[in-house]
Formats: sequence, structure tokens, C-alpha cells
Amino acid sequence: MSASFRIRRPAVRLRATAGRRRGRSALSRYLFVAPAIIFLLVFMFYPIAYTFNLSLFDVNVGNFLKGGAAFVGFDNYVEFLSSPGFLSSLLVTLVFTLASLAFQHLIGWAFALFFNRKFPLSGFLRAIMLVVWVMPAVVSASLWRWMYSGSYGLFNSILDVFGIHTDEAWLVNPQTALIAVIITNIWLGIPFHMMLVYAGLQGVPHEVYEAASLDGASARQRLFGITVPLMRPVVAIALLLGFVHTFKVFDVIYVMTAGGPAGATNVLSIAVYNLSFEYFRLGDGAAAANILLVIPLIVSVVYLLVRRREESA
Amino acid sequence: MARPQRPQLRRTSRERPAWHLTAIGIVVVGIFLFPLYWMVSTSFKSPDQLFTRPPTLIPTEFDFSNYLRAVFENETMLRSLGNSLIISVGTSVLALLLATPAAYALGRLQLKWTGLLLLPFLVAQLLPSINVALPMFTLFSRVGLVNNYLGIILADTVAVLPFAVIVLRPFYLNIPKALEEAAAVDGATRMQAFLRIVLPLVRPGLVTVAVFTFVMTWGEFIFGLTLTTKQDMQPVTVTLNSFIGQYGTEWGPLMAASTIVALPIVIVFLVFQKQITGGLAAGAVKD
Repeated sequence: MSASFRIRRPAVRLRATAGRRRGRSALSRYLFVAPAIIFLLVFMFYPIAYTFNLSLFDVNVGNFLKGGAAFVGFDNYVEFLSSPGFLSSLLVTLVFTLASLAFQHLIGWAFALFFNRKFPLSGFLRAIMLVVWVMPAVVSASLWRWMYSGSYGLFNSILDVFGIHTDEAWLVNPQTALIAVIITNIWLGIPFHMMLVYAGLQGVPHEVYEAASLDGASARQRLFGITVPLMRPVVAIALLLGFVHTFKVFDVIYVMTAGGPAGATNVLSIAVYNLSFEYFRLGDGAAAANILLVIPLIVSVVYLLVRRREESA
Repeated sequence: MARPQRPQLRRTSRERPAWHLTAIGIVVVGIFLFPLYWMVSTSFKSPDQLFTRPPTLIPTEFDFSNYLRAVFENETMLRSLGNSLIISVGTSVLALLLATPAAYALGRLQLKWTGLLLLPFLVAQLLPSINVALPMFTLFSRVGLVNNYLGIILADTVAVLPFAVIVLRPFYLNIPKALEEAAAVDGATRMQAFLRIVLPLVRPGLVTVAVFTFVMTWGEFIFGLTLTTKQDMQPVTVTLNSFIGQYGTEWGPLMAASTIVALPIVIVFLVFQKQITGGLAAGAVKD
């Protein structure tokens, strides 16, 4: 950014035609990026600003199209934050996010290390795992509903093999529903983490391992002494993206449980949806949506600051 | 699960292909992908094969009636498959039209404000879809864009455009600068150089982005759910979700419908597998 000032000055000082031509060609460069930026301004930033406006009014089914909703200041925020549902939603979201992320990432690492050892068909096997990652979430969710179902679900049939006979409908029981959707989400996220970690492992120079082997480093020492430290930037990116994407999860849970039973899987994004589109309290929904935005935003800003400091250090 | 082996083992494994690892890999990946097999095999089972315990692992006879009922004789499903095709193709085209020049400028043209201009695309990726869906529904319902293909295409483009720009940008970084300079010497305008020289060189990147936006849009759910209120405008993901309520525990038809929804994605994935994995790794790790 500091370089920009240095470039700008001559363009201002020189009034000659050459200078003006350069100015015009600089402008033409921005024309390439302008349509995309304008698109985001109109269809993303304006709606977000509009959400903030919406959150200050008591917009509901009665006045939604007619207009004339009463201004209520920050009442919608206070109401949402002090509702009993908020804390439980926040807790469910955090448990869901952190548990999913921890296992997705660790299992992703295991797969990446495994595929990093060259063997016949390793590329093919690694590639077909990604089918899970491109699968529409609604498809995966409906499939896991079937596997978790009571009497004839695959899950209970597998338990039969281990001598545990149960007809438990895992998504209907409030005590098991959250764990069940977390397991599904771990399955969905493993390929993404495997892919990022595997790509990162390709950047670790082979000679480092050779040298360490010659020095008699054990496999464990090489993993934790060389690979893991070198992979820190990749791990940070994977965890940041994973956190942000998991925190805002909607479709998998909505299709599997719709937030139930008894709020056991009612993550924040589903709470926002229900307020806005089930109860049609759009003002309250908008306030809740803005609160949903806060945590990923904080995490991302902290990440950027830490990365900037590391880069300049 | 697997750690780098001891040096002496490693040396032998370099001489002979490590088929024992292949065997482990096939078993582990097989278990990982088993749910997808289960979806497809369930879709071909008649109720008497479906409701057994222990389950029928391989269908004893193939029953296509689930497909007839849930898909081929189901007008809602056929209609929504068409809707999804229109929406996905429309979104891919719009995202490419916007992202192709934008990624060129951000990757190649050394703008003063590249860092600042990239920021909206990075921020956009963090945004929960519901945060866009809620105000969009409010705004679109005033201008007639609810229950409208264009409305969903615009919303889906918000979701995929940042990704498209970020995945496409590295492709431009690899083009030799001398090529454009040569074109400039020959008197070509920047636009001509872009269209005739640069674009053909980034064609693999364009394919990656087109494939990606198609896959992401085909699976998109929230915008479809919130921006349509009429059944005949729903994308296929929303229709599949409503089937769950409708068919209850009739898992055969439900898995047949799920398989059909997954099919285009699996085909696209198998055909463009290299572009998908390569592009994603480049986009995610570098930015």
C-alpha cells in the first residue's frame, strides 16, 4: 500500500499528454475489475448494510410489504441475546464447529500422510475421496438420515455385529442428535482437510527428511520435528477456513434435523432462518444474523493480524 | 494412521511398488466411500430387500420402480432438475463473465490498490449465506425477483464469484509478461491483448472455474429455499428436501432421488477431476 503513493505523485505532477495517456490507461485497468466489484457492492454489501437497517426496526409479517415498521433501536439485539435460545444455540454451534474441525483436520492429516507415501493407485484413491466433498450437502444429509434411522438403519446393523442391539433413532433422540450430525459433518469435511494438508506436504523439501534420516531421527521425530513446524501456515489456513465454513453451517443440519429435536442441533444459522422465514420476524432475524457474523469476523481479523505480524517479523 | 517409515524399510519400498499400502488404501477408502455405495444400492432395492436386518448388502434383484416413482414419473422432480440446470448454467456464465476480467486485473495488471480490491472477495467468502439470503429476500420480494430464475442466479453468483476470482487469479500470474508487451508493441489495445493473447492461455483456469461454479450452484440450498416460494421454481436440492417430509421412511424412492441429484456432480467430477483438485489447491493455499 505504501508503494501506491510513490506511483501516484508523478501522474499528478505531469500534465503532459504522456502523463494523461498513462492516467487513462491506468483507468482502463480498473475497468476490468469494476464489474465484479460493482456486482458485489450491489448484491452483497448493500444487502448487508440493509440487514443492519432492518435489524433496527420491528419488521414482521404484518408490515413487511406495506412498510411502516416501528423503529426500535437495538431492542431486537437485546431481545435475541437475552432469549434462552441464544446461549444454547451459541453453545451448540461452538461444540459442533470445534468437534467437527478437530476430527476433520486430524483425520485429514492421517489420510494426507498416508497418501504422501508413494504407492500404486495412491493418486486415484486420493482423488475419488473428493467425491464426498463435491456431493451436494442435501444429498449427503438425506443419505445419513437413512443410515441413522431406527430399525433398519445401517448404523444399528453395524452395531449388531458388535453385539449391541438397539433400535435407537439417533437423530430423534435429543441426547444423540448432535453427535450424529457432527459425525456426518466430519465425514463431509475430511477430504477438504486432506487435500489442503496433502498439497502442503508436497512443498516440504525431500532433502530435509533425507538429512534427518541420516542423522538417525525416528519417524515420530521427523513428523513432529520437521513436518509439523513446516506445515504451520497450511494448518492455519485449513483451520481458519474450516472454522468459518463450519460455524455458518446450515444445509446439512437443516436437512437432517431442522435444528431439533428440542433444539439439540439448533445452530445459530438455523435460529436466524427460523426467526426470519418461519416466524417471519425479519427485524429479529436481521439482528440475529448480524450476531452470527461477529464470531467468524473476529477469528478472521485475529488471523490476519497474526499472519501480518509473522510476515513482518 | 500412517507415519513415514523407518529408513531401511523406505529403501526397499522405493525398489518395489508398495502394494501392501495399496491394499490398506483400498480398504480404508472403501469404508470411507461406503455411504455413497449404500445410497446407490438402496435406490435399487424393493421394500422386501430394504427392510431386513441384517441388511441386504448387494441387491438380489434390481428394482427400478423407485426411480420411476421418485424421478421419471414425478413431474415436480423433473421440473426442478430443469430449474437447477438453468440456474447452474446461468450462474456459471455470469460468474465467468465477471471473474475473468477481474482476476486478470488483480493478477496481472499491477493495480495500485490490488490488496484493497482483493479484500471484498476474501471477506465475501466468510459470509454465512443466510446473511445474504435474508436481506435479499426482503429486497427481491419488492422488485419481483422472488420465484424468478434471475433472482436465484444473482444470489448464487454472490456465493461463487469470490471463489471464482481467487481460484482464477493464480492462472494469470503464470503468463509471461513479454507476450502482452509484444502485443502492445504491435499496437493492440489492452482489451485486444486480453481477448486474443491472454484468454487462450488461461483456458484451463476458465474450465476449472466453470466446473466449480456449476458444482457449487447445483448443490446450493439456502438461496433456493429462501428465494422461492412456489414449487415449480424450486431448484432440485429444495425439492429433495421436501421429499424427505413427503416420503417419510420410504427410503427406496428417497435414495433414488438423491442418486439422481448427485449424478451430474459425479459425472462432472470424474470428467474434470484434475481441474477440480488442481484449481482448489492453488486457490486455497496461495491466498
